[in-house]
Amino acid sequence: MGYIKNSIHRIRNTRGIGQVITVTFGLVIMLIAFSFINPVFFSQRNVNNLLRQIAPILLIGIGQSYVLITGNIDLSIGSVIGMSAMVSATLMSHNVAPIVAMLVALSGALFIGFLNGFLVVKGKLPPFIATLGTMTIARGIAQIVNGNYNTNSIGEHAQGFREFFYYGKTFGIYNTVVIAIVVWFIFNFVLRRTRIGRYIYAIGSNVEASRLSGINVLSTTVVVYVVSALCASLVGFIQVGSAGMGAMDAGNGYEMFAVAASVIGGVSTLGGQGLLVGTVIGAAIWAVLENGLQFAGAPIAIRNIVIGIIVIVSVLLDVVLRRRTTKASIKN
Amino acid sequence: MKLNIKKLLALLIVSLLVLVGCGSNGGDTPSGENGDEKYLIYLITMDQMDQHWVNLSKGAEAAANELGNVEFKWVAPDVKDDAKQIEAINNAISAGADAILLAANGPDAVTSALQEAQAEGIKILYVDSPANFPAEQTLATDNKAAGKTAGEELIAALTAKGVTEGDIGIISTNPSTDSTNNRIAGFLEAFEGTGYTVLEPQYRDGDPVRSQDAAQNFLTSGVVGLFGANEGSTVGVGNAIAAESSEVIAVGFDYSDNIKELLLDGTLLASMVQNPEVMGSEGIKSAVKILKGETLDVEVFDTGVTVTTKENAQ
Amino acid sequence: MTRVVKMRNIHKSFPGVHALKGVSLNLYEGEVMALLGENGAGKSTLMKILGGVHQRDKGTLEVFEQEIGELNPRSAMEHGISIIHQELNLCNHLSVAENIFLGREISKNGRLLQSKMNEIAQSILDDLNVDIKATDIIGELSVSKQQMVEIAKSLSMDAKIIIMDEPTSALSIKEIEELFRIINELKAKGTSIVYISHKLEELAHIVDRVTILRDGEFIEESFFNDIDIEHIITRMVGREIKEKFPTIQRERGDIVLEVEALNAGHLVRDISFNLYAGEIVGIAGLVGSGRTELTRALFGVDPKESGTVKLYGADLNIKSPMDSIKAGLVLAPEDRKQDGLCTKLSIRENITLSNLDIISNKLGVINRKKEKAMCDTAVLGLGIKISSLEANADSLSGGNQQKVVVAKWLSRESNVVIFDEPTRGIDVAAKVEIYRLMNELKENGAAVLFASSEMPEVLGISDRVLVMCDGRITADLITKETNQNEIMRYATQFEDKRAGLEKGIA
Repeated sequence: MGYIKNSIHRIRNTRGIGQVITVTFGLVIMLIAFSFINPVFFSQRNVNNLLRQIAPILLIGIGQSYVLITGNIDLSIGSVIGMSAMVSATLMSHNVAPIVAMLVALSGALFIGFLNGFLVVKGKLPPFIATLGTMTIARGIAQIVNGNYNTNSIGEHAQGFREFFYYGKTFGIYNTVVIAIVVWFIFNFVLRRTRIGRYIYAIGSNVEASRLSGINVLSTTVVVYVVSALCASLVGFIQVGSAGMGAMDAGNGYEMFAVAASVIGGVSTLGGQGLLVGTVIGAAIWAVLENGLQFAGAPIAIRNIVIGIIVIVSVLLDVVLRRRTTKASIKN
Repeated sequence: MKLNIKKLLALLIVSLLVLVGCGSNGGDTPSGENGDEKYLIYLITMDQMDQHWVNLSKGAEAAANELGNVEFKWVAPDVKDDAKQIEAINNAISAGADAILLAANGPDAVTSALQEAQAEGIKILYVDSPANFPAEQTLATDNKAAGKTAGEELIAALTAKGVTEGDIGIISTNPSTDSTNNRIAGFLEAFEGTGYTVLEPQYRDGDPVRSQDAAQNFLTSGVVGLFGANEGSTVGVGNAIAAESSEVIAVGFDYSDNIKELLLDGTLLASMVQNPEVMGSEGIKSAVKILKGETLDVEVFDTGVTVTTKENAQ
Repeated sequence: MTRVVKMRNIHKSFPGVHALKGVSLNLYEGEVMALLGENGAGKSTLMKILGGVHQRDKGTLEVFEQEIGELNPRSAMEHGISIIHQELNLCNHLSVAENIFLGREISKNGRLLQSKMNEIAQSILDDLNVDIKATDIIGELSVSKQQMVEIAKSLSMDAKIIIMDEPTSALSIKEIEELFRIINELKAKGTSIVYISHKLEELAHIVDRVTILRDGEFIEESFFNDIDIEHIITRMVGREIKEKFPTIQRERGDIVLEVEALNAGHLVRDISFNLYAGEIVGIAGLVGSGRTELTRALFGVDPKESGTVKLYGADLNIKSPMDSIKAGLVLAPEDRKQDGLCTKLSIRENITLSNLDIISNKLGVINRKKEKAMCDTAVLGLGIKISSLEANADSLSGGNQQKVVVAKWLSRESNVVIFDEPTRGIDVAAKVEIYRLMNELKENGAAVLFASSEMPEVLGISDRVLVMCDGRITADLITKETNQNEIMRYATQFEDKRAGLEKGIA
């Protein structure tokens, strides 16, 4: 009993939980509303599909959240999805074993992650510019790797790959969802309970103070960009798994979905603040909207307006509430 | 010290950007050894990645090589974007193009740039998508007619199966793309007066994975038929049906190896295959004719669609 | 006595400036050494080298008789050196405990032991007798509490050598007392402390020896008891400062500003006072008495709830600084870098920022000649030491920065010039120049109002003193006729809310 009381107390006093609770309410209301408008929305089949639609957004949300918390941004994440998809799919369509194809794609993503980290810290480029550049490089690689064509089918030998990343189920839930949950657990633990997690928040809060406290800003920044690139890679594999081929414009624009999911969930674009559990809610809201509005038969204009309003309101909350903590002077 | 590294890196990135931009230019025909005057003809499409444009460009390149007196350049933005297409047209003007084959993003999107081109005496021909600006010729698929054909094929197949009513789902790119809008318009025309209900189209930018998600949702809500309005949408529709081993009938648009597979294994009933290569090759031929001073036979060249099914897929 | 630090012939240059020219320093076990010098003398730079933040170009460094080559903040910590920085280096989003242990977290098998860290942090805070919880978020604490956290951070490292750079600039009297108590305890334990401060009067309480720098050069090292403040100032400045607080006499003119029953939040309550042309009025009070809030309310930064403000008899309806400036009432704010200057803009752009209306034509185009003339006049008239008008404002020393802020207002004819902490963080010689400036304004007929926590300054240059306590004015005194004790009495005259009476706190 005491443990439960302690846990509740701890959760209530966790920084940033306020916005998470607010958006969770929003999500629940949305779910109820959509089920009401069209009961098929709440059928088991759609719930399973919906979870699988949330998973990729959550994965890139995790990567982008890591970067945002350090006070940076990763615009290349969408292109890395495309790059990983094309590299792995091209190899597999030429009969390379999926494991090997994945490793090659992952090393490419790792490279982009390292590059981003170094450009931002050593090169002192603003993250917006640095990742804009790597975004174009990654997209370019995605186009070149199969001679400016989308790939052919990845072939029968990749059936296991497709099962693992998209079509298979574990304990009745789609593998994609399980992958997202596992990844979330690991990265959430690291962020909340380990030193590197602490340093990620510290750098986002005050990079100079962190440096002067002996924190290695370069390695921490590289870590978050590598995490982001790896998450993007996973989503690339999921996409190849579902489509059975690689498309050159895979992941196009996904960097903004990732930012939206993070911001709705309470991760501040100013850095130093945000909970990964919020990103789960943010990703869920994003996917639920797209899914639910389809079942509600809403015209596309409605969806765009609703998404726009939600993002603006979340960002307003973000900026207005955070202003309190960034201004150091409060006279008592 | 700091400033130098920053500048160096910025320079590096900019030059890499330029390289990628240049590198994505397909068909660069080598200038011929004969001293004949070569016509510089630019092909400007909506983006570089859709197989449709790739094939269009290949058709044009082949014609250029055959004729021998054409220097052919393919330029396209990395993503469909009006401002970028205007830039591409301006670059073609500055490069001294004799003619431009253009797949316009939209009817009025790039008019300003076209006016400038015309002022320089550049001949304009439209491939795939025309704009509201006078040009020498438009070589395109009649999208509305093609859409109607797709609808008719779907109705025929459903009726043959004994299904005379139910929901029909449409998955398209976005509401600002003329070509897919016209296809939807034609498709809807075919369904007028029938017992089926066509639901609100879902727009997923032609991303096969997102289109697949939308198709899944349609399947969950119990549609009897599906329509994919472009290549990416069609692939998504096919994959969703295959994954659920669904009996739902679907027709699509455009062609690729994946769509071929989906047709061959019966997942998709049929796809309206455009003839982008024809657009490209005939476009080059028409352009050369105009530049030589000859007149063209038709103002609108319908490059048509082939209803491709399991039987005639190759 | 063991020598814990030996620095010899330290040279350090930054682009364009040779900051340290062969400086030496000795520090012994268990002593407090004051490191003194004007702004720009090189004190912070020298200590940053000791703390591993900068690398020296030339010279030797020995810590505990061990020669040290390269140093970074982490290895400096390992050698037992810790710095309490002048600018707070805290992460606003993290808690007090998280900041105290930043970079040295306690973990087991990769998991952070947060409760243990909280416990240890709390015991240090309790030792300091401050009302701060280890779980408080830094961004929500007042500046003085944040400074105490910086101190706690250093103490938690069990450092043998602590460098304190202006540790008391934002502290209240009580907090300063606690700090001095801790310093004496540390001395008894054998810890050595380098103490940098402009508040020379503080030194007598704790300092054993003194090292003086000037213009990047080592000037003198001696025992504190062997010299006096005048001597220190002379050596710091290189010349004698005859007058610490220059004053001029002139007749007070007409009434300029009439403030009646002004209310703006709970730190500006029922304020009434008058200002006359040709006088300097100081506002004294404790931290949190509402001095800053009053200046902000007058300038239009904070909204007024009720009350009237009249300028030369006419009602002023000030809703924003813009209205204020147009009326000729200007403010040089407390936080120079944050509120007074645009640090990334040039000196020229800063001087002309609020005066663009004067130097541009009806269409808004700036007249370059007029702009240059305005800047030249300002630089010459105020004696601002700059390398070029195009240099960034943040490249200037504190004193010169303050002059740029004032230059902004002097370039317009202002009726009322308000200063909030006019000489905070400014060295002795530059302080005098600011006082001369204020006198010049007074002579030209402006009404000068300034809030300050430095009592000597208030008593030194003002004609009158308004004392504030908890948002109200408790006294309006003539400076010549009052003293520090009386002012202190009025500054602590809190209202007894229950009885509705005025009750002084002993």
